[in-house]
Amino acid sequence: MKNLYLPITVDHIARVEGKGGVEIIVGDDGVKEVKLNIIEGPRFFEAITVGKKLDEALAVYPRICSFCSAAHKLTAVEAAEKAIGFEVREEIQALREVLYIGDMIESHALHLYLLVLPDYMGYSNPLKMLDKYKKEINIALDLKNLGSWMMDELGARAIHQENVVMGGFGKLPDKTTLEKMKKRLQEALPLAEYTFELFSKLEQYEEVEGPIIHMAVRPRGDVYGIYGDAISVSDGFEFPSEDYKKHMVERVVEHSFAKHSFYNGEKPFMTGAISRVVNHADKLYGRAKELYESHKDLLRPTNPFANNLAQALELVYFMERGIDLIDEALAKWPIRPRDEVAVKDGFGVSTTEAPRGILVYALEVKDGRIAYADIITPTAFNLAMMEVHVRMMAEKHYNDDPERLKYLTEMVVRAYDPCISCSVHVVRL
Amino acid sequence: MERKVRIGFYALTSCYGCQLQFAMMDEILQLLPNAEIVCWYMLDRDSSEDEPVDIAFIEGSVSTEEEIELLKKIRENAKIVVAVGSCAVQGGVQSWEKDKSLEELWKIVYGDGKVKFEPKKAKPVEEYIKVDYKLYGCPPEKKDFIYAIGTFLVGSWPEDVDYPVCLECRLKGNPCILIEKGEPCLGPITRAGCDARCPSYGIACIGCRGAIGYDVAWFDSLARTFKEKGLTKEEILERMKIFNAHNPKLEEMVDKVFQEVKE
Ligand code: SF4
Ligand code: SF4
Ligand code: SF4
Repeated sequence: MKNLYLPITVDHIARVEGKGGVEIIVGDDGVKEVKLNIIEGPRFFEAITVGKKLDEALAVYPRICSFCSAAHKLTAVEAAEKAIGFEVREEIQALREVLYIGDMIESHALHLYLLVLPDYMGYSNPLKMLDKYKKEINIALDLKNLGSWMMDELGARAIHQENVVMGGFGKLPDKTTLEKMKKRLQEALPLAEYTFELFSKLEQYEEVEGPIIHMAVRPRGDVYGIYGDAISVSDGFEFPSEDYKKHMVERVVEHSFAKHSFYNGEKPFMTGAISRVVNHADKLYGRAKELYESHKDLLRPTNPFANNLAQALELVYFMERGIDLIDEALAKWPIRPRDEVAVKDGFGVSTTEAPRGILVYALEVKDGRIAYADIITPTAFNLAMMEVHVRMMAEKHYNDDPERLKYLTEMVVRAYDPCISCSVHVVRL
Repeated sequence: MERKVRIGFYALTSCYGCQLQFAMMDEILQLLPNAEIVCWYMLDRDSSEDEPVDIAFIEGSVSTEEEIELLKKIRENAKIVVAVGSCAVQGGVQSWEKDKSLEELWKIVYGDGKVKFEPKKAKPVEEYIKVDYKLYGCPPEKKDFIYAIGTFLVGSWPEDVDYPVCLECRLKGNPCILIEKGEPCLGPITRAGCDARCPSYGIACIGCRGAIGYDVAWFDSLARTFKEKGLTKEEILERMKIFNAHNPKLEEMVDKVFQEVKE
């Protein structure tokens, strides 16, 4: 038999945010090569903001990614505040986290229902599910509406939140609105639980089962959450956020506009909801804690598909957490939205947990302008690991019908909830 | 309507926010019975970029060679081409450093690393193909989508907005941040339609809907006001260029203000 190499390509992975493709080269004796191509053009965010006024750069950063624009805004603003040596009041921090939770809820709901579920139910497009799965689509819309409404109220809009500024907020919602937010979160809890039930029944493909190194931000105050100043690794190591470059090493690869990252320069690693759960489940509380205990076997560290269920668990958790944070803020009512900040020179690193995993902003400020910017997004961190898992799937199925192979490998990619417009153009040497 | 309207949503280089805004409208469910989605990769696995459509929505700036080819294909296949959002219409925030060379930008981000694709400087869609209609904003408001589709469906055209954000801001009764606090609000030159969203939160407008068209964006008079408030020419240009770097009038009009002094 002749050596005939058949490249199997998915030119454009659908139902992910951004433009990427998978290329699998199969030879006589198995899979030769697997590449995750990031084909979306670069936007050079770090380069275009260097030299710019701080507040203008901070207005531009969220435009890196719409699915997690609040995450970008809040992380960038915190990095800037750290750089100039400013700390917001507790109640402002609580409300910023509530805004971030709005992003989490919207992003997880969209990913789970509109991007992942159609694969399992056999549809190409979530809108086509409407006839048979009306309930699920309606839950998706309800959760999405809740998340975007929270961002509207606290961020001025659901995509690109101009209301978040250094020192606090431009304006805060009134007390009645915050009370309503609490109520809506309470009412949505059963929907989150339903989501968890639903996803606990979906297959986690054993083809991709194997050890994974997980990284997650160590949450402040030892309560499961979003903000933190150190990164924990599932092998037991931990390092301060400022050392990210030492332990999360980036390399340019020729088949992608996004760089790949390796733990200590060697090993691919994963970040995202499942990594947060794996590294910090002991800091969960409430209903999410109970669900975790009863579903530990499914929320396991060894399968990327567990990320879907981990997101569903977080829907439950972050709703309860949001309610508590609103209570914290209400206890200090009335709240002044904003403090004056004195802009000084300095360098600051902020690490937060965006819906898709660790987001790093390192900003240097000089004379009120950005002197240096380094931004690394969760998808960029995940690319190397994603390639490993796509290869594992391909190795088991390269003899199948190419359509099935494409479908299965796409599902692997989708489990990571990649955000490709995020992963390009923001990585920097 | 007998035949369903064929719709395509195509993405160039962007943050996907315009599509997200569109996809997130509950109203989309009402549109569905009358429409057929031919291409929309964000939502549909069975998407094709090669089929004819009635309305093509294009998001993102043109930033690779491949995207130019895609644009030409879309234009051939579409009856109405709509450029959606500031990336597609004005080149987006990625055009902020329009005057820096590609090599310089590349070096800052990628160092000496090489990739097999061909990157380009970000440009608006209109620089490559004819655009029939534009939706402004970063992202556009939901009502912008509804209005546009609604008028297309009845065979008509949406009307363009030709007045500034200030008008909506005054109608809302907001205090003026520019006059009262001296902050560099771009409301006076920016196309309305967002109901003065940012000034209503006490935040100065950064001009995300782009400068008003029809040569009525008075960059010069706003520059004069900014100058009186102590901003340098560079600072003024920098701010106005966040969303208007490709505007042909901008530099010339701001220059004029700074030349006046010398005489
Ligand atoms: S115009 Fe704004 S919202 Fe739309 S894709 Fe570009 S950056 Fe995103
Ligand atoms: S605040 Fe801005 S938009 Fe409002 S009136 Fe003043 S300049 Fe115009
Ligand atoms: S006020 Fe300005 S920056 Fe804010 S949404 Fe309107 S046009 Fe965009």
